[in-house]
Order: sequence, then structure tokens, then C-alpha cells
Amino acid sequence: MRSIRVFLLVALLSTITLVNFLAALHGYRESMAAAQQLLDRQLAATAALLEKLPLQQVQSELPADGEVALQLWGEDGQSLLKSANTPGRPMVPLEGGYRETNFGNYRWRVYTHFSPESGRWIQVAERADLRFQLAERVVLESILPTLLALPLAALLIWLVIGRGLSSLRELANALREKRAEDLEPLQVSEPPQELQPVIRSTNALLERLGASFERERRFSADAAHELRTPISAIQVHLHNLERELQDAGLADRSGSLGKLRLSVTRMVDLVEQMLTLFRTNPEHYPARLEPLDLQQLAREVIAERYELFSARQQSISLQGTAVGIRGDVFALTVMIGNLLSNAGKYTPERGEILVTTALSDSRGYIQVEDSGPGIPAQERSKIFERFYRVGGDCHASQAEGSGLGLSIVAHIARLHRAEIQLSDSRFDTGLCVRILFPASSGTVLPGEEHA
Amino acid sequence: MLLNTVIIILREVLEAALLISILLAMSRRLRVDPRWLPLSLLLGGAVAVLVGTQMRGISELLDGVGQEVFDAFLQLAIYVLLLCVAVLMIRSYYSQNTVPGGIAAAMGAAVTLAVIREGSEIYLFLSAFSADPDLRPGVLSGAFIGAGIGFSIGALFYYFLLALPRRTTLAVACVLMTLVAAGMCIQAAQLLIQADWLPAQSSLWDTGNWLPEGSVSGQLLYALVGYEASPSPVEVGVYFSAALLMVALLFWARYRAEAGGRKGERDRAASTP
Amino acid sequence: MLERTACRRLVLLWMLAASVKAVAADRPIVELEIRNHLFHPAEILMPAHTKVKLIVYNRDPTPEEFESYELNREKVIMGGQRAIIFIGPLAPGEYPFFGEFNPNTAQGKIIVK
Repeated sequence: MRSIRVFLLVALLSTITLVNFLAALHGYRESMAAAQQLLDRQLAATAALLEKLPLQQVQSELPADGEVALQLWGEDGQSLLKSANTPGRPMVPLEGGYRETNFGNYRWRVYTHFSPESGRWIQVAERADLRFQLAERVVLESILPTLLALPLAALLIWLVIGRGLSSLRELANALREKRAEDLEPLQVSEPPQELQPVIRSTNALLERLGASFERERRFSADAAHELRTPISAIQVHLHNLERELQDAGLADRSGSLGKLRLSVTRMVDLVEQMLTLFRTNPEHYPARLEPLDLQQLAREVIAERYELFSARQQSISLQGTAVGIRGDVFALTVMIGNLLSNAGKYTPERGEILVTTALSDSRGYIQVEDSGPGIPAQERSKIFERFYRVGGDCHASQAEGSGLGLSIVAHIARLHRAEIQLSDSRFDTGLCVRILFPASSGTVLPGEEHA
Repeated sequence: MLLNTVIIILREVLEAALLISILLAMSRRLRVDPRWLPLSLLLGGAVAVLVGTQMRGISELLDGVGQEVFDAFLQLAIYVLLLCVAVLMIRSYYSQNTVPGGIAAAMGAAVTLAVIREGSEIYLFLSAFSADPDLRPGVLSGAFIGAGIGFSIGALFYYFLLALPRRTTLAVACVLMTLVAAGMCIQAAQLLIQADWLPAQSSLWDTGNWLPEGSVSGQLLYALVGYEASPSPVEVGVYFSAALLMVALLFWARYRAEAGGRKGERDRAASTP
Repeated sequence: MLERTACRRLVLLWMLAASVKAVAADRPIVELEIRNHLFHPAEILMPAHTKVKLIVYNRDPTPEEFESYELNREKVIMGGQRAIIFIGPLAPGEYPFFGEFNPNTAQGKIIVK
């Protein structure tokens, strides 16, 4: 069924039409038969009147008006009286009863009656077409309301079905407006019996889903938190070990110690990222949205991390205008930091990174472009999944990362109801990530046109 | 005037409406784009009016039997198109994924021809009365009632077909199309007898007292299975050979399609190591 | 496509048969007129078990449909035109016919003796 409403309307209307019209047709037939009987009786009454008429035995002709005809015949077949519109012979053979015949360009219904007292045959006739038209006009009057009521019935059915389906529509709207992370139970006011099982099962499903989300989040957050202490201990012991080895005059010939230090640093990073990911989760993070300048923020974050880029001889530049949005300073700092470190990681030495803040259709955005290898279009949707890394573990850039950076970016973007767009960067290769904030929050700050 | 208007309009509308509902239901089931319907209704309607205005010339062709021969050929063409539609339906049912491109065209062509045939008669009838103000209310109400009953039966029939279990729809549609197609042939035969192209014979039986052709149920059966109260041997022969030819072709198409399907499976099985 | 050629062949056969027959047999001709939505004459006599060529002249300006359920015949006759309808062979009896566009007045019957 493409639409329940259309189906119900067509099916109901067809049924009503069929039943009503067949009934009307039946009524028409019966009424027409009754009307014909009535007219026949009138014809007989006219004949009875003529029977009583005193009449001399002279043949005479009456002027005719064209709608009625009459003939009187003697017992011996001699014409006594006739209207001018009848032929010289009897209209129909002289037998009692009703018959139809043609003469004078019309079809007539003739009543023939023999009067025994006067010994005369009386024939009275009416034009069949006029009789029929008269009867039909009367009968049609009674049928017309049935026909005219049909459009009204269609309108009423349409409205009634709409009313009947309104709770279904309400449910559909409630489902449509639900945000992806909103696992609150559905609210439908006074759901009808038929919808209650649907709402109950949906809400039970949402509840189970919410519980399992919560468990998962808690587990990773707890795990990260629990890992912090032993990792700090490892860091301390590693430091001590280095010192002791130095003091003993033993060189780190295989470089194992250096590698161990790098691994531990990476582990610290990862744990911190996991905690950030948990903290910036839109359902937990107590965002404090305040007006801020996106470009100013970007400038600060770039300045903070400038050394990282210069160490790899990468050129980083900031373009565009000052963009005022409402946002959470801490969260946005984390987000821009993650975007920049991602870009830095995947861009080769002496590569280029370009940060732009501007307005697009009155929506503020920040965009980070790099000259790294880029991401094939078909993989772009997956990069926001946690621990997903393009190309798996054997990543072409050999860069180290947790695979959590972009998940955090996605969290923070959702916190601000911002949209993430991925495209190719303006360099020969590379990725362009654009965070597009909602329209109401983006304005160019006055007097701060960027030079 | 109302009653005979109802009968005339109902007869024409019902034939087209039943054909359309069968084809439309199958088109839904086979996921064929139903755009052929409005196109063929428009085209058929336009040509019907054209044929209606040219009826004078058409009837004078072929020694005064042009009208019968023209209508008979329309009916036979619809029969052939229904054959094609049914064969294509079976083929697409068994090949599962591919819907033959010609099926929408064949359905559209069949409906176009049916609308031309029925529409031209409706046009002639209504145009004969447009001038007479005395009869107009009766004729208009009759046309409304006739069209209402015809389209309602068509719509309910359509939903009935869609409500059938998926597996039986094809079988039911094939049976219905065979009956409708054979009905087309019996009408064509009758027209050709009237034109003296086929021999006239006395009728084999007469069920007119039991179920008059002019009644609503008689009209319904006439439209659906080509009901004829007093058929002659030629008409009965034509009816059953048309039905048999169609049934044979359908079974042949099914056999081919199943064999093709098995062969395809074997090929696939052979090609995978 | 097989069935289409078969149809065409059948039709050719019919055409041949029809032309042969037309030459071979001279059928009795009966004429009928439609005037003012009436049949003139309203009753026609016909021989039994004989095929008859019925010629109907429509003298009205409006079209009329000659229709008879008993004879299995229906044919639209345009205003001012004539139509040829082959009838029979029929068993003795009465076969009513009517004008479907004006069934209240256009009525008649064929009496086969």
C-alpha cells in the first residue's frame, strides 16, 4: 500500500458508490414502473370518461394537440370519432388492453377498451416519448441527491480517515524528530489501542539500546581512568631506569629504551583521548555556549602547536574572516587541536596546511586543508568511527594515532549542532575537513575584517 | 434514458476498467513503473474522440462493414497484446530480477486500444445527446451512475487482486487475462459474423432468460469472461481455441523460463570453482 | 510473434472466403428506416433459415445504434447514413430489436416465418 489514506478513500468510496448507485438504479426501475402504471391508469380513466360521453352516430373528427389521440369505433368497425392525428384505421388491433405502436411520426401507448353498454371500442393514446420524459423527470428528482451527495461523501471520508490516522502521523513525527542520540521514550498523547504495542516495543527497544550504550561508555571511560595510574607508574619507573643506566655508564645500545619511551607516550596520549572522548560526549558534556570568535580561537591553537609543525618544516597558515559563533571554548579548542594534529600527522614534511574561517550562506565554518594523501570518497563515512584508521594498521604515512581524534571532533561538532563536510583539499592531494556551524550562530564580527 | 445510458456506459467502462485493474495490479506486483497508465489513457482518449468523429467514414469502408472489421481488429490486437503481456509476465516472474522492458509498452498498448474501442462508443453516444436539453439530465445522471459503478468495480477488483497472496497473484492474473482475452476474441468473432466475414449459424444454447446480457451481472460477466447468452458454434469455437492457444503459450513460456532458470543456475554453479 | 502471423493468415483466409461468398450468393435484402427515432416499418417479415441482408437507413441527424440481444447484433449508424447488417439464418419466431440510443421509441421486431 503506497498510502493508507488513499487506499481507504478509494476502497470506501468505491464501495459506497457501488452500493448507492445500484440501489439508485433499482429505485429508478421501480419508480419508473410505478410511474408508468400511474400514467396507464390515467389513460384508462380518460377512456372511462369517453365511455360516458353521449355521442351521435356521426363520424366526426376532433382537432388534435399532438400529445393525446383517441378513436371511437362502432361494433361493426365503423369510425365514430377520431382525433385528427390518428390514421384512418384503428391505431392498434381492436383487442382490450395496452399496446404500443407507431403512427404520425411518434410512438404511442394505446389503451383499447370495449364498452358493452354502448357497444363501442374506445382507444385512447399518449405519446410514449412524452410519457417517458415526464416520468423520468419526476424519478430523477429523487435520484439526483444520491449522485450529488457523492462528492460530499468523498470529502467527509477524506477528513474522517485523516482524523483516524492522526495518531499514526503523530507517531511518525515523533520518530522523525528524534535526534540520533536521543534515547528518551516516545511521547504520543493518548495513543489508540492499535498503536500501543508499537509504542511499547519501540520504547522498550530504546531503553535497552540506551542501557547498552551507557555500559559501553562507562566501560571505556573506567578502563581509561584505571589505566592512568599504572601508566604514570610506568613513566616514573622508566625515568628511574634511564637514570640508573646512565649512572652505571651503560649506553642504550639497541635504542630499546627510547622506543619504550615513545610507546609509553603514545599510550598516555591514547588514554587521554579516550577520556576526552567520553567527556565531550554530547549527552554528558555540560556545554557552556558563549559568543566567541572562531578565528581568534584557531589562531591561539595554531600558536600553541606551532612548534610541532615547524619541527617537520610544514607551513601552516590561517585565512578568512573573523567569525562569531556561540560555542564552548574548551571543547572547540580540543576540536581544532585534533583537526590540526590530524592534518599535521598525515601531511609529509615540507607539506602545507591551510586553516580558513569564514561564512558560507550566513553559516560560520572553520576548515582545515592539508596536502597529505587524502581519503578516498568511499572511506570518508567511516573515519568518524572510533579506532578506525584509513588503510588499517599499515597506514601509508606511518603516522601514529589513536583513531579517536575524529570521533572527538564529531562529538564536539554534534554538541554545537554543527555539520562536518569532507572533501578534497585545494592542494594536489589531501583532505579538507569543514565544520559548518548552524545558521543562527554565525555572524561576521563587526570591525574585524581580516586583512 | 437513464437506464439505457447506464447500460451503455457501464458496458464500455467496465470492460476497460477490469482490463486496467488486472494490468495495474500485475504492474504493481512486478514493480513495473505504472506511468504507462496515464499515458495510454490520454492517448487512447484522444484517439477515441478522433475515431468517434471519423466513424462515418470508417463505417462506409469495405462495403459498409468497416465499423465491424475495425472493431474486430482492435479486439484481436488487444488479444495479441494480452498474450504478449502474459508471456512477458511469466518470463519476468521466473527470472526474478529483470523485468522485460517491453511489458510496460505492451500493457500500455493494450489499454490504449481498449480505451479507443470503448471510448469512441461513449463519445458517439454522448455526442448524440449533447444537443437535446430534454434528455440531458437523464443521460448525464446515467453516464455518472454507469461510470461510477464501472470504476468502483474496477477499483475494488484491483484491491482484491493486490490482497491475494503473492504466490497466487500470477496464476490468478493469467487465468483472468486468458478469460478477458478469449472474451475479446468472441466479440471479434461476433462482429465478423455480423459483417458476414464468418459464417452465421443458429445459436447452440440460450441462457438469456436465466441471466440477461443487459443486466448488471450480465454486463460484468460480459466484460470479464465475454459472456454471450446465445452463442453460435463458431463463437464457441473461437472462444475456446483462443483460450487454449493462450493457455498453451503460457505453459510453454513457463517451461522455457524454468528451463532457462535452471540452466542459468547450472552455469553459475559451473563457473564458481 | 508466431501468433501474430497466424492471426494475419487467418484474416487473409476470411477475406478470401468472404469475397468468394459475396459473389456466390445473392441474399434477400430487407430495408429498414429510422425516422424521428422510430423504425419504419416497426415489424419486418423474414423467411426462416435464410441469411438476410438488412439495410438500415438512418434518416435522423443523430447517430443510432441498432441493437438486438436476441439476434446478437449491434451496430452504430451515423446520422444520415445507411448500414448493412447480415442476419440469420433464424428459426421461426419473434426477434425484437431496438435503437439503443432511443430505446423508448425506436423499437421493432423481426418476425420469422
